[in-house]
Amino acid sequence: MGVPAVAMVTEAYVDLAHSTAAQRGMPTLRIAFTPHPVWGKTIPQLHALVDGADPVTGKPLMKEIVGYLTTPLSPEDEKSGLFPVSAGPSTIGPDTLENLQAYFMNNGMTDFLPIIVPTEKAVDAMLKGTSHHPDEIAGRIGRGVTDTYKYTVRQVAVNAVMAGCDPSYFPVVLAIASTGFLALGGSTTSFGYSMIINGPIRDKLNMNYGIGGLGPFAQPNATIGRAWTLMGKNLGQGAVPGQNYYGGQGNQLNYNNAVVVEDEKNSPWTPFHVQKGFKPEENVVSLFDGWDLRFGDGAKGSGAIMPKFDEQISSMFPTLTRMFNALVILDPLTAKALKEQGYDTKEKLTDWLWKNTTISAKDYRESFLAYVWLYPRALKGEEPYATWWKLPDDARIPCWPKADDINLVVMGGQTNTFFQVGNMNYIRSVSIDQWA
Amino acid sequence: MNRRQLLSLMGISPALLAGASADAAPAKLQSDSTSSGSQQKFVALSPKGTPPPVQRFPMAPNLTSLDGKTVYLVDTGFFGADLLLKQVADWFQRNMPSVKTVYRRKAGTYPEPDPKLWAEIKANGNAVIMAIGH
Repeated sequence: MGVPAVAMVTEAYVDLAHSTAAQRGMPTLRIAFTPHPVWGKTIPQLHALVDGADPVTGKPLMKEIVGYLTTPLSPEDEKSGLFPVSAGPSTIGPDTLENLQAYFMNNGMTDFLPIIVPTEKAVDAMLKGTSHHPDEIAGRIGRGVTDTYKYTVRQVAVNAVMAGCDPSYFPVVLAIASTGFLALGGSTTSFGYSMIINGPIRDKLNMNYGIGGLGPFAQPNATIGRAWTLMGKNLGQGAVPGQNYYGGQGNQLNYNNAVVVEDEKNSPWTPFHVQKGFKPEENVVSLFDGWDLRFGDGAKGSGAIMPKFDEQISSMFPTLTRMFNALVILDPLTAKALKEQGYDTKEKLTDWLWKNTTISAKDYRESFLAYVWLYPRALKGEEPYATWWKLPDDARIPCWPKADDINLVVMGGQTNTFFQVGNMNYIRSVSIDQWA
Repeated sequence: MNRRQLLSLMGISPALLAGASADAAPAKLQSDSTSSGSQQKFVALSPKGTPPPVQRFPMAPNLTSLDGKTVYLVDTGFFGADLLLKQVADWFQRNMPSVKTVYRRKAGTYPEPDPKLWAEIKANGNAVIMAIGH
């Protein structure tokens, strides 16, 4: 902007504020801190806060800010130019496996479960799982306010080894890495993640889409999902709680990111990747981010001849946050029952759910995440948010702007007619085959 | 954790602050006494990606005084920032009445830049206080 500036930040973010300023090329940026949180304070409390001290420096807050704006700059403040940054040594050791385990864990490179130590031999074996050159750039990540990190096929392979992947899984891991969309975003929102895998590779890798498909019962499901988290820790700026990861409660899904392998054979509907424009014979991974998965209570009217799964799914939507959309994971038995109910395509069901699940405009506007993420879009005139924000309190609106915001996938062991609803955004689908 | 440890963990060389490049030598571990001796040793590869270089920007020249100056109070859009900044404006009114304050809510979600507002501040303002956080 070319004028002196002070960032006024709550004290919960001291390290994040300083490290972000450094990453953005302003390591001496003036930052003043207030007690945390500011949200929910009364006017007298805020008055006292402004009249009080910076909890980090102990100095009177406003006098400190005035000083930051009027004190002459130092030579360090006036530095400019391009400065190299190192991620540290490219190799570690030599040392024992036990000490290497400890090194990786103590340096924030793991999920605090034991890893397969990525020795040169193990990484070389992983690299045989792809035809791509080890030094090829596999992807880039620039998250939020940070600049873009890049990573090679070899660096992805190191993470795949650590996660316990077999080399035959490596194209899937590379496809995920190629999106630049890595797990463990640093937001206070505690993001969770999920993926859908489609195509013949599901059987080639012996992936589990039957009984316990979302549980700890198959190596590819477990380790491909884990690799996504390890890549989130290592390939970009990382995720250190209280430093650059601020998920208030964290998210249990982060351990392996809910790998959903669609049961294409027993689904009555079009596979998810075909809905996204791929051919049935293509191998595709589709990524989601959001919050959680929760079980549905079977069908409404379960004692009736025709139980209503559509109404039961619909009843769960209003409690989801508007910031994320919906991912509904249906057991094949549930999907078949819905087909018998008349939903012979996924689109018919999502259209019904979208039209028949509404919330009040008041509830929508009073949602914290709608205020932070969707109100700014309303202020810019973006529809339907702009219209929704002006409606009377009792007006009814859909949970999301369009029916496509509801995603359906079929997976499960057909032992009972259950389903799970994820509060998840679809991000994108990418070819696995291009990384074979 | 101190600043040096934090920056190291994030892949940012603490040497950035001093303008030097980072050490790329292999990491040496402190062996514990129970795992030395005849145990086989291995070299492991780092799982880290490659961070971008940092383009440093000089700070804008500071003012000699805020007397008679215009200070923009910028709200990034989190709950409570508007009320906090109104108290900041009130503080200036009580303690430095010659300072004119202008409250603005930044357009877009909190990480998005607002070039229109930046241009307004550059044209009409002398300083900025930006409230960030919860």
